[in-house]
Amino acid sequence: MKPISTLIVISFLTFIILIISPYLGLSVTTDPEIQNHILTQIRIPRVLFAFIAGSGLALCGMVFQAMFNNPLATPFTLGVASGASLGATLYVYLGLSFSLLGMDGSTIAAFSGALIAISFVYSISHFRRGFSSETLLLTGVAISFFFSSLILFTQYLSNVTDSFRILRWLMGGLSIVGYHDVIQLLPFVSLSVAVILWLTRELNLLMAGDDIALSRGVAVQHVRYLLFFVTSLCVGAIVALCGPIGFVGMMVPHICRLLIGSDHRWLTPATLLFGGGFLVLCDAVARLIIAPAEIPVGVITTLLGGPFFLWLLIKFKAQST
Amino acid sequence: MTTLLDVSDITVKVDDKFLLSNISFQVKQGDYLCVLGPNGAGKSTLLKTLMGIIKAVAGTITLNQKSFSQLSQKHLAQQLSYVPQAHGRQLQFTVIDFIKMGRYAYHTAFSEWKSEDQQAMDHAIYTTDTEHFLQRQMNTLSGGEVQRVMIAAALCQQTPLLLLDEPSSFLDPHHQVEVHQLIRQLNQQHNITIIEVSHDLNHAAQHSKHILALKQGETLWYGDSSDLLQATHLQNLYDQQFVFTHHPQTGAVVALPSESP
Repeated sequence: MKPISTLIVISFLTFIILIISPYLGLSVTTDPEIQNHILTQIRIPRVLFAFIAGSGLALCGMVFQAMFNNPLATPFTLGVASGASLGATLYVYLGLSFSLLGMDGSTIAAFSGALIAISFVYSISHFRRGFSSETLLLTGVAISFFFSSLILFTQYLSNVTDSFRILRWLMGGLSIVGYHDVIQLLPFVSLSVAVILWLTRELNLLMAGDDIALSRGVAVQHVRYLLFFVTSLCVGAIVALCGPIGFVGMMVPHICRLLIGSDHRWLTPATLLFGGGFLVLCDAVARLIIAPAEIPVGVITTLLGGPFFLWLLIKFKAQST
Repeated sequence: MTTLLDVSDITVKVDDKFLLSNISFQVKQGDYLCVLGPNGAGKSTLLKTLMGIIKAVAGTITLNQKSFSQLSQKHLAQQLSYVPQAHGRQLQFTVIDFIKMGRYAYHTAFSEWKSEDQQAMDHAIYTTDTEHFLQRQMNTLSGGEVQRVMIAAALCQQTPLLLLDEPSSFLDPHHQVEVHQLIRQLNQQHNITIIEVSHDLNHAAQHSKHILALKQGETLWYGDSSDLLQATHLQNLYDQQFVFTHHPQTGAVVALPSESP
């Protein structure tokens, strides 16, 4: 199938998911007025929020996979999301409350955590030339563990209320209320989408390796810093609002690669739509599976993502040997 | 002929280790320079420094009378193209997409593919004889085919200067000859200036115009390729005795490593 037809099919399916999912599980009540309220004030903003968060997570994953030339490298596997989580956890623990230029304090804290984590991974991976992708991933795992233990430590020190808030949030959920959160998130994800769409040719060349990218004229260092910055901002904003929702950034871009190929001019829009639709769908499942209660969507994505990660690991290993 | 590239006293250091010290040479338009030396002499480092992949800590490089520090990576890529050493990396592109990316330096994010881009690409494909596998995936190609595609992508960049890092290593004799012929054709017919890193002494002596011999990051010898095949030069360069004979077909002098008694 030609990329354009694949993209049309993905757009169509995403559109269907977006239209249907707000109505799923609406039968808890028969009162049309309450139903209407749930739909417009709770469901629609939630679906929009899930779509934006899913797109953002998937795109950041795609960027990492291209930059490190490894399908297992994502903001989650490399510890960037843990960094963001630690930032946001500290924000809750310290009882801080501030905002800067319209950015919520927790977003700023998560963004700072993400940037610190990414600088760690990047400097360690450039510590020696010829750094293998296994070592890179192990570095990410080590950083994740380190940040996770700091999160646990913070949680231990917190009072019961904060501790529960942190725990619940760490599971990754989309139980947001109203349009406020949608508006909070939108600018960060839009900025990353714009920058990534602007850099699709650079991403293609980065996938071929730094040497080739540089020799074709890509200012690799600048592009990399810019991408690190916008992905940290995007992951930070998402993590601050709905916790670390794992594996979307690994599964979605990889499936899109299989469907549409590795050319980022096609892959970027496909990943954006697929990622959004995917998280909306996962969220619908999370709402319905033990209705009227709901489980955090991060639990669903991680349940799907764990086996997917193993499958990729085996496949990737078999290819590289 | 004008000097295209002027390398003056460059030094490259990584983690307190000198990879290159005080290297100087000049390359004129249409020249063919072979860089020789034992493993670890800094040959690849030199090419990478010229391509802006590694930065020199001292010394100057001037390209067309312009200092390197004034050139952006994009401008550099309009003057220099680079064929890296064969690496095992799986490239997930079709051949045509990969060659097409050679035009990166002439475009911005929103510029259109123009007729001169198409011409440059068609020319690169024709010259390297890659047209019959343009739609194949890079990771399904043989070593010889990959090397031709790499050269095609570099030619697509339409640069006056082409850097090649061991273009014929890892190829069988037939494909070695093929790649050598292609490089000579580029140099002679298309007037592309070549800097090639090689381990093939006889090829270098016969086909290149100048030789730069490096050892442990220092210039051991720099001169005409006709002077290369001498016992003392080679002995100093490789710490190995060589014997000389004549090619039965062409009569050219050929060096062979001598057998230890």
